[in-house]
Amino acid sequence: MRFDAEWIRELLEGAPGRDELASKLTACGFNVEVREPDGDSEIWDVDVTTNRPDAMNHRGLAREAAVACGARLKPLEPGLEESGEAASDLVSVEIEAPELCGRYVARVVRGVRMAESPQWLAQRLERCGIRPINAIVDATNYVLMELGQPLHAFDLARVAGRRIVVRRAGQGETLTTLDGEKRALDPSHLVIADETHALALAGIMGGADSEIGGDTADVLIESAYFDPLTIRRGARTLGMHTEASHRFERGADPEMAPVAADVAAALIARLAGGTVCSGRVDVNPRPFRSAALELDTEKLGAFAGLEISVDESVRILEGLGFAPRVENGLVHVHVPSWRVDIERVQDLYEEIIRHVGYDAVPARLPVLPAVPGQRRGHWPLVDRARDAAVSVGLAEVVTYSFISPEQDEAASALPLVTAGPVTLDNPLARTQAIMRRSLLPGLAAAARLNLNQGETDLALFEEGRVFVLADGKPAEGERLGILLSGRTGPWDRREAVSFGDLKGLVEAIVERTGFPALTWKRDAAGALDEAEGAVLLGPGGRPAGYAGLLGTQVASKWELRQPVYVAELDLDRALAEVPLPHFHDLPRFPAVIADMTVEHPASLAYADLEAAVGRLASPLVERVELVVRYSGKGIEPGSVRTTLRVVYRHRERSLTQDEVNAEQEALRGRLASELNVRFA
Amino acid sequence: MSLQRLNEVRRSFLADLEAAGSDAEALEAVRVRYAGRRSGLLQELTAALRELPNGEKRDYGRALNELKKLVDSQLREAKRRTAAASAAGSRPMVDVTLPGRRPPRGAEHPVHLVRRRIETIFLRMGYSVEDGPEIEDDWHNFEALNLPPDHPARDDQDTFYLPGGSLLRTHTSPVQARVMEEYEPPIRIVVPGRVYRRDSDLRHSPMFHQLEGLVVDEGITFGHLKATLETFLKELFHGVEVRFRPSYFPFTEPSAEVDITCIFCGGKGCGVCSRSGWIEILGSGMVDPRVFEKLGVDAERYTGFAFGLGLDRVAMLLFGIPDLRLMFSGDQRVARQFA
Repeated sequence: MRFDAEWIRELLEGAPGRDELASKLTACGFNVEVREPDGDSEIWDVDVTTNRPDAMNHRGLAREAAVACGARLKPLEPGLEESGEAASDLVSVEIEAPELCGRYVARVVRGVRMAESPQWLAQRLERCGIRPINAIVDATNYVLMELGQPLHAFDLARVAGRRIVVRRAGQGETLTTLDGEKRALDPSHLVIADETHALALAGIMGGADSEIGGDTADVLIESAYFDPLTIRRGARTLGMHTEASHRFERGADPEMAPVAADVAAALIARLAGGTVCSGRVDVNPRPFRSAALELDTEKLGAFAGLEISVDESVRILEGLGFAPRVENGLVHVHVPSWRVDIERVQDLYEEIIRHVGYDAVPARLPVLPAVPGQRRGHWPLVDRARDAAVSVGLAEVVTYSFISPEQDEAASALPLVTAGPVTLDNPLARTQAIMRRSLLPGLAAAARLNLNQGETDLALFEEGRVFVLADGKPAEGERLGILLSGRTGPWDRREAVSFGDLKGLVEAIVERTGFPALTWKRDAAGALDEAEGAVLLGPGGRPAGYAGLLGTQVASKWELRQPVYVAELDLDRALAEVPLPHFHDLPRFPAVIADMTVEHPASLAYADLEAAVGRLASPLVERVELVVRYSGKGIEPGSVRTTLRVVYRHRERSLTQDEVNAEQEALRGRLASELNVRFA
Repeated sequence: MSLQRLNEVRRSFLADLEAAGSDAEALEAVRVRYAGRRSGLLQELTAALRELPNGEKRDYGRALNELKKLVDSQLREAKRRTAAASAAGSRPMVDVTLPGRRPPRGAEHPVHLVRRRIETIFLRMGYSVEDGPEIEDDWHNFEALNLPPDHPARDDQDTFYLPGGSLLRTHTSPVQARVMEEYEPPIRIVVPGRVYRRDSDLRHSPMFHQLEGLVVDEGITFGHLKATLETFLKELFHGVEVRFRPSYFPFTEPSAEVDITCIFCGGKGCGVCSRSGWIEILGSGMVDPRVFEKLGVDAERYTGFAFGLGLDRVAMLLFGIPDLRLMFSGDQRVARQFA
């Protein structure tokens, strides 16, 4: 909020220089963010927090400055001269909705002549970012900036029956506000009306037809207190935000209403001539009652970590208007009418600590039980997966959790996408309207961006959450997504990425992350390429992931012009903890290795062949390794030649070559009778 | 023919051998001249044996044999040397300046690098790292934190809503609320995670990352807050000064904005710190007793402090990343710089 620095200084007796004033205000909680020289003053942009509407004006901020700088806030002198008729003879006020309007004060100034504001006043308003209009409107704005009380000036001649009624708007009632907009209202809105119709939107904006104009002779000044919530909701439903609504919705000072009316009346008479009618009309259905609080400075000291004396507390509370009184060592205070933020004693602690100064509080580390910190929830798992992905050479990306309906649709056929999407009620843009159900869309978009940047060799991953509707309710899941494209390998052996590269990475990540045993099965869902797509099935056949070449139809959604391999793992299927490794004794007798070359139809999956060997081999077989796969020249079309290395070992003695030869021969026989295989 | 002749041959052989050096062709010529099968000098000398008188045969024969051995061993040695020399000359030398065949190197995103650095600092101080849902309810995200409906401070946290009244958490603070509902003090936690606000411009992203901290116990003071955050910030940004300014958050009282001396200019004032010499780095405060009461923590017995910071912003400051949009662009050249 903008302030005129010299205006603040003028309100203080013993004001310090501007530099000191700015730094003291910052230190007590009003950060002077920007200082801009302007003539013989400076325009200050001060961060007044939303809980302090009382400081959203020069006098309120000067009150804080006085305490912070050891200066004195000058008393308020309206300089009012009244004469002639009583205001109450000229206008009547009725509050029909006292729950929405706690107080309504009216003053009348008769016989004004429209004039321009003097230079000094116009300049002050401009420093606050307010455009001068005419002396009467400017006077109300000036009082707003000085005292924080929003005011409204009506042309009294245009108030039918000279009767002000504060009431809820009727259903379908309309009002054309000062900005020329015709507003449709309902009973949740509060209006200021005369006998016939609504004149103003209470606490937000005046109406066009009671506006002050060149022919205005008599001015009715409204100075009221409106219910914060009513103003806030009203302004929000109408899409309005004004200087007045900003303050009323945060909480105005009900005791300021009569004072501000006096100050404004005096100022109007001074600037635009006319006489102030005697007395005010003051309807006060809910008089302000000050809350009483008791402060124990010992408890305050224990809370702050700094001993603070009764005298110091009293000095601060006095300056802030709490009228402190010390009794039996306790400080008794009354909360001033402008401090809507003070409800309980802890609120007083804050007042005192910030004026004593945060710098004054000594920093001392707490002494806490020496128990080791734990990483809880998903963190150990997701970081294990992240470490695994980094360890195999992938670069992490972080993409938005929301995507477009088209991207969601494109990813909807992926194996892990089974439940419906979660949509945002109020997205920022259509392209960010749906919560991702898969990490693929973000990775695919990243791939496109990288390709457009000329980065053609991609090895990316993202770890993050996906969102779906489960039984009608939004649910979250942790995923790891991988994308490979272009070439891979060291500089002298760079080769196009293949399914095998992808599978190798996925296997390594699965192993390091810790999953139950997963089986790889050809994917039939169709989002992946029909020849190079797999689902990873966990216990019970539940899918735990997929991996493969992205199908051309899906890839075209992101205009990916080179083959892209993708994989995604459902981390919620992973083991919560990786079991500690268990050491096995090293073998004491040498192994005997025997290779075996098998020729078989390409339709026989390697996993099935390996499983058959495992099942049919003698207990002396320690393990089976894949050595070579070959198809092509010299092999029947549709067949594959697979060379397996069979490792034999006896736990208690050395094996002879003859024994192994016999076992191999027997194994060949069993394989040939069980599977459609031949031996080369 | 005589022993004298043998000596002459012996001398000339050694001279010729030396002259040939390690030239393979010259050595071959020497071999042919002396040890050649058809017309080598040794053949000639052997033939001469028959012509000698019987009395001289024995000595001559012995000397001839020695000469033969010498020629044979010297030639063999010379040949070995030559082979070694030629092998050394033709063996390809590795260009050790060629790039190595590196295994692939992965890289973590800067925001997660920073998250783990910060987690480590707090884990070392005995804090636990907590986790919570990104889809929240109004109670945990707002109401329990002293942000009732229509509270003006809700304006600062423009919220994405989901059907059925749930929302995307606007901060990591709802996890504080969940932890206080679940555990008895003493509580000492940090909570990193993704958060969402309906706001997008050069300095705001609708999705970003925060890290929240909470300490609750008997006798926790504002001085403890100061010391803890000073310790943390000096550990993360080496050598900075720390400053506390009063501020306002609905869930803490008193509240403090915490600034560090600008890490780019050392506090002298530059473009990054708007010439102030200070950079705002986190928000903090003593837990508002209203929050304790809402969450069933005995506000008479316990006090506590809480703090929160933007991980993306810290990553940008710490690593000198100039533009927030780079963080979520998916450009692999961002993370690859942190391999």
